[in-house]
Amino acid sequence: MNTKVIIRRLNTGVPGLDQILGGGLPEFSFNLIVGQPGTGKTTLAHQIMFALATPERPALFFTILGEPPLKMLRYQQQFSFFDLDKVNASIRYINLSDEVAMNNFEQVLERITHEVEAYSPALVFVDSFRSVMVESQQLREGPISLQQFIQQLGILLSGWQTTTFLIGEYLSERNPNPVLTVADGLLSLEQSIYRNSMVRKVQVVKMRGQATRPGMHTFRITASGIEIFPTALVRVDSGDMAAASGVLQNRVRLTMGIPRLDEMLGGGLPSGYSLLVAGPSGSGKTILATNFLSEGVRCGEPGVIVAFEQTPSNSWIRTLDDLIGKGQIGLINTRSLDLSIDEIVVNLTNLIHRMKATRVVIDSLSGFELAVAPTFRDDFRESLFRMVTVLSDLGVTVLMTSELEDRYNDLRFSPYGSAFLTDAIIVQRYIEVDSRLKRVMAVVKVRASNHSNEIRQFEITNEGIVIGDPVLDYEGLLGGRPTRMLDADTVVRGKP
Amino acid sequence: MPTQGDFYSVTIQRMIKLRPGTTPDASMVAEATLNIWHRMAALLAPIIGTRGFEVLFNRSLQLTSRAFPCLVIIENHRDNAVLLANIRENLAAGTTKDAMEAGHALLVTFTELLSTLIGDSLTNRLLSPVWAISSPIPEQETEL
Repeated sequence: MNTKVIIRRLNTGVPGLDQILGGGLPEFSFNLIVGQPGTGKTTLAHQIMFALATPERPALFFTILGEPPLKMLRYQQQFSFFDLDKVNASIRYINLSDEVAMNNFEQVLERITHEVEAYSPALVFVDSFRSVMVESQQLREGPISLQQFIQQLGILLSGWQTTTFLIGEYLSERNPNPVLTVADGLLSLEQSIYRNSMVRKVQVVKMRGQATRPGMHTFRITASGIEIFPTALVRVDSGDMAAASGVLQNRVRLTMGIPRLDEMLGGGLPSGYSLLVAGPSGSGKTILATNFLSEGVRCGEPGVIVAFEQTPSNSWIRTLDDLIGKGQIGLINTRSLDLSIDEIVVNLTNLIHRMKATRVVIDSLSGFELAVAPTFRDDFRESLFRMVTVLSDLGVTVLMTSELEDRYNDLRFSPYGSAFLTDAIIVQRYIEVDSRLKRVMAVVKVRASNHSNEIRQFEITNEGIVIGDPVLDYEGLLGGRPTRMLDADTVVRGKP
Repeated sequence: MPTQGDFYSVTIQRMIKLRPGTTPDASMVAEATLNIWHRMAALLAPIIGTRGFEVLFNRSLQLTSRAFPCLVIIENHRDNAVLLANIRENLAAGTTKDAMEAGHALLVTFTELLSTLIGDSLTNRLLSPVWAISSPIPEQETEL
């Protein structure tokens, strides 16, 4: 017979928090929420409290000095999670400033004990315990020390089977506090301002008994409260297996919606692949991406587009707008300059699940890089890798566009060195022929698949992209200034 | 359409007038006013702190005393018991009508002040036990 204790895990009601905690909050745990002023500690505590408190699982919120309770109630009720019906029903606020003012931890402990015995709460919040620590510095010779106070509080609250949160300001490593050893869990919040953007991050420094998701996770505070965007997990076994040729043979090939392009890709784009379309401004990347999505709709494969580009009002974009308007394509459109890639990944993943999407377009990586907060730009490549891996794990087929200025002495596919991340690459370029700019396109790579290696001229017409025949009569195309080969006719214009 | 302020006003007025059928004198009105104060203090002080409650009440007193000179308390306000005794004494010294109007204005001002800070809904939520009573409370319950 298995008699080991089973630790129940509570759903905190904070999007993303249960994931980074490793599956929820252990019941009866003694936790700290620390961070500098303004990082969202009290808001996080309130959001958890309002999500968890019920008449059967009541909560006590002790306020000690710090933020005046009137102000706290004034501001916290602005959040949509603040349910007035729970106040004084399943949530009680108790102010301990009188007891603290007496400079006596015993009084504070006695009052907390009294209230806990009277109310039998399942959840206890103390905001903020730093106030207690500050008082302790002024009262070195008190009846009990801070350490004893915290330990006795921990014993009391675990004896009463409460799940507890002590809220406090940042604890420096140089000044370790006894409270850290008593705590089962430690959540650290921080905010950083870099240039004109502000980024909030949370870290689970410690959570006894469960594997937490490591690292700093970005979060946002909106009218709904806190939403955490867990750093995307990269599965160890992802990638290589999927690309193995044996698996490829079983993959469905997706049609691109552009005549001749499927043929260039070796029969269409293998499902689950990521395709990078790189080219200079105006070369037709967005149109190609739009075709990919509208073809998906035609084939009953819903799509999602993450758009960072200004959308010119041409007929192709209107087609895209129509599909978005009809709900056949999902749109994440942002001009924000303080995003984290994880935020985009979370929003994108949710939208993919909601729409049951199988095709995803990110237009473009250049816009994406601009939209992420400057502090993340150093890690952009790594974050991009995580994003592509997450999307790959979801099984969707991804098309990313990348703005790439033409360099005729340098064959590159992405300014981020991200070409190796993708399974397939299409490159577009301008060439000069007879004092005119012409567009050419080539399939550079389709992992584990045959594909065309021809450079084809293409045009953008009202009907869309029209790919021509291979450019056989010119050479030096990639140098930007091709020369006609001897006895060659004019460049063959393609027929749709 | 009656406003939340009207609600406070009507409710507090009804409470100060004591039981239907009684004809209160000024001292009874003073007692009823302080009873309501005690009830409010008993409900709010544990949440917003004794000091937080006192600050709000003192501000209400200051605002109300502009229109009701009987609420101008010259003595030191720091001792709450002395302050309340003064209010009781001053209200009881005037006419019933004056006591009723001043006591009513003081409590309505306090409630409205609280409401501007934490909103009507939360104010009602926290003070609903006060509104629930229709008769003055026994003396032993008035201790803070």
